[in-house]
Amino acid sequence: MAVFNDTAALYGTIGRFFETLTGADEGQLIHRVGGPVLFVYHNPEGRILWVPCPPPGGRPAFRVLYGDEAVEPPLLTFEQDADTADRFWRGEIDLAQALARQQLRATGPLSRAMKLLPHLDAVYPRYAAFASGAAGA
Amino acid sequence: MRVRAAVLADYGRLGLEELDLDDPGPGEVCVRLAAAGVCHSDYHVYTGDLPLPVPMVLGHEGAGRVQAVGPGVSALRPGDPVVLSWLPACGRCGPCLRGRPELCRVAALAGEHGTLPGGRTPFRRPSGEPVHQFSLTGAFAECTVVPEAGAVRLPEGADLASAALLSCGVLTGTGAVWRTAGVRPGESVAVFGAGGVGCSALQAARMVSAYPRIAVDVHPRRLEAAAACGATHLVLAGPGGPLERVLDLTGGEGVDAAFEAIGRPETIAQAFNATRPGGRAVVIGVAPPHLDVSLNAFAFPSQEKRLLGCWYGESSPARDIPALLRLQEAGALDVRSLLSRRYALDEVGEAFAAMLSGAVTRALIAFAS
Ligand SMILES: [Zn+2]
Ligand SMILES: [Zn+2]
Repeated sequence: MAVFNDTAALYGTIGRFFETLTGADEGQLIHRVGGPVLFVYHNPEGRILWVPCPPPGGRPAFRVLYGDEAVEPPLLTFEQDADTADRFWRGEIDLAQALARQQLRATGPLSRAMKLLPHLDAVYPRYAAFASGAAGA
Repeated sequence: MRVRAAVLADYGRLGLEELDLDDPGPGEVCVRLAAAGVCHSDYHVYTGDLPLPVPMVLGHEGAGRVQAVGPGVSALRPGDPVVLSWLPACGRCGPCLRGRPELCRVAALAGEHGTLPGGRTPFRRPSGEPVHQFSLTGAFAECTVVPEAGAVRLPEGADLASAALLSCGVLTGTGAVWRTAGVRPGESVAVFGAGGVGCSALQAARMVSAYPRIAVDVHPRRLEAAAACGATHLVLAGPGGPLERVLDLTGGEGVDAAFEAIGRPETIAQAFNATRPGGRAVVIGVAPPHLDVSLNAFAFPSQEKRLLGCWYGESSPARDIPALLRLQEAGALDVRSLLSRRYALDEVGEAFAAMLSGAVTRALIAFAS
């Protein structure tokens, strides 16, 4: 059973959750990456792009673009199954394992994203709460 | 001698033809086929994915009786029941001397040329045009001529249909588990592709008490066959791939040994990705020779994963087929459950279609006796 039945459900959960981060303190972390981050999803198919908004410190910290809107060339790309993405944002995925098993494919300077990883522990429970709300809606 | 044979006239064009068959030369034997298994390798030759010279007599999993022997053949006599080996090792080349007869250079070269080791083919069209033979066998013919080492003697009374299946799929699948991966009791295994080879691997895993034994396929019918061959868990691979399911079944760790019995880059990567750190993945499936596979590079050192190839089950047919026959006699190896349907020599095309649709585990060409 897939977590998301269709692209709309994927965008409505993971995408909307990203939007909640744009105004949060953790949203500022995107400036440590230093460029747009593209998420490519399969089963269902989808594309979500984070585009940092200058200047650092302002709100929102980044914009969230979907599908065909996501045209800006990304600095970093993460490609994965939508199910894997859901588990990642719940904190259930070991990144090293996921890369080794090709559940997650990263293109670009991965080290820049690794800087964010320690800060995600605070984000995972918020995603889980948000996702259960989205599923109930 | 005049024989009927299923001849690949050109890629994608298979038909029944009457051919002239030479008498066996020195060190060769003529075998009258009773049964021949239909294998994915035959289909790969048919499509041209396994590029070999045409015209060619297909078929390489055969069993029958010796019809005649050439000069110098001492171990076989007319009437002896035999099973064909599509890799008759020369015993003298580098790989043979290193104890790897399945990599025999002489047999491999003859196989590529579609001839016997001397460079000649025993089949001829009535016009005189030579017709190649697939992998030193050409088992889709009423009779064929093979090197003496390519005909392994069977005990009198052996079931020739079962023996035909032993000669390729069963040797390969069991050898991959026992020899290439060296699976030990209690180890977890996953088999990707539950055709004849995959189902043989599952039986081999059952015999050494591997657990769990996970079968992965896209055809529900093939998973049923896998369950009959000892699979304890069945994974129907969907659009997202089977990896998550295999991980779930192994506490998130992956299996000790994964076997790829399909021959596709995607499934080879899946099998590798489904192994636990320190595990091993064995590629048995034969992909077209121009394809590459992409794997995570960091996984090799950081997780000590091993990727192994397996050709013909690292077997020596004269040593291993008698052992498989004894296991069959003891009830540990069930070859009959692999055998789904019999076809006549002029129905090879139908047998291919049934194999591709997942309707059969192993199709067999049965020759009128
Ligand atoms: Zn075969
Ligand atoms: Zn040799």
